[in-house]
Amino acid sequence: MYFEGRLDTAASAQTEVEMKPLYDCTGHDIILDCTQLEYISSSGLRLFLGLLKMAKPKGSHVYIRGINEDLRQVFAMTGFINLFEFK
Amino acid sequence: MRLSPNCELLLQEFREKRQELLQLDNHVFELINQKLGQQGIELNSIEHRIKTEQSLAGKLERKGEKYHQLSDITDLVGMRIVTFYTDDVDKVAAIVTQLFDVDWNNSVDKRKLHELTSFGYNSLHYICRLREGSIPFEIQIRTALQHTWSAIEHDIGYKGAVKLPPQYRRQFSRLAGMLELADDEFSRLRTTMTEYRRQIQALVKSGNLSDVTLSTDSFRSYLELRPFDRLNQRIAAVNQAELFPASLMPFLPILEHFGMESLGEVQAMVDELSDAAYKLALSQLAVTDLDILSETVGLQNLCVVYILKHGGSHDDVKFIYDKLYGANDSNAFLADAIIHQYTAIGQ
Repeated sequence: MYFEGRLDTAASAQTEVEMKPLYDCTGHDIILDCTQLEYISSSGLRLFLGLLKMAKPKGSHVYIRGINEDLRQVFAMTGFINLFEFK
Repeated sequence: MRLSPNCELLLQEFREKRQELLQLDNHVFELINQKLGQQGIELNSIEHRIKTEQSLAGKLERKGEKYHQLSDITDLVGMRIVTFYTDDVDKVAAIVTQLFDVDWNNSVDKRKLHELTSFGYNSLHYICRLREGSIPFEIQIRTALQHTWSAIEHDIGYKGAVKLPPQYRRQFSRLAGMLELADDEFSRLRTTMTEYRRQIQALVKSGNLSDVTLSTDSFRSYLELRPFDRLNQRIAAVNQAELFPASLMPFLPILEHFGMESLGEVQAMVDELSDAAYKLALSQLAVTDLDILSETVGLQNLCVVYILKHGGSHDDVKFIYDKLYGANDSNAFLADAIIHQYTAIGQ
């Protein structure tokens, strides 16, 4: 799945709907391509964490790809960076 | 395949009762699986099945004269429970005895059948019935090593019609003896480790942390005391954040790398550096609206403060991130940023 621009509270509701099909993935590699993502808020982090929670027990791996240094710092600062796998 | 008229009748009765046998098979499995789960016994595997028609026909052909009615055949429904430890074979056997009526005349503890000078197939075979009455069924209980031995013995033993010479049979017995010893040693090791964990937990609870060597077990017990909760809650309060549960075990190699040898040293870090760690986290989070944090946030900041207070370099900070997040060039950028923050708060 590709993300671009700002993943903030305003964008989260629609993004959540679009991410829903990923919740049902079983034994797949789920790649969240963040190459074009400029900003992520707590709402965006919650979406990623929610997906991780649903996908892991079903044997899927969630990878984050192409994240920029500023966003990586957000993941580090909140302590979530080691929950995800980065490509 | 030629069967006697009586055996043909038994085979026909088996076909008619197939559904009933399937129900019994599932019922027995559910009863035992539930009870084992309640008792917290971890198993290597549990298999259950009803006999195939082909297998029954083969059995009737070989020794059909033994069976007068279908219930004389005690393995139409069968279950095999494979435990990790030899102690658990007895525990599972006790549970089976509690759940079902065991036909002791036809049940075999093959472990007790061996002569003192021989080794071989060790397994418990219980012939049981439901308490409320049913056709008999068989439950086999064995350890994973016994299972392996028996599977290999079956494979080799059935492959040729030629009788094995004594030296090969002796080699089999030696292997069986070795596995029996290994089974006992695994059980002994489990008991010793359980006892060690109990001692560590008692020391951690009594507060004598300096006496407790830092190890996987002791750190896990220490984490049960939730030593970083206070710091995490202070940090979370900055943005009224929700704390997301996460394992802190990945921090153990970092603490060991710092040269910490006891839980007392970890606790000293918490006592002495929590304020500085809070300030460091505050300086990062206050300028954001991030209101969800991982429970690792407190310890992560503590580690950074600890290493910088002890004269650590940029590479030492990067080492923390490499250990936690996997080695990555971007960790150098994270190390730069956090050192900048640390300097900015005047530590």
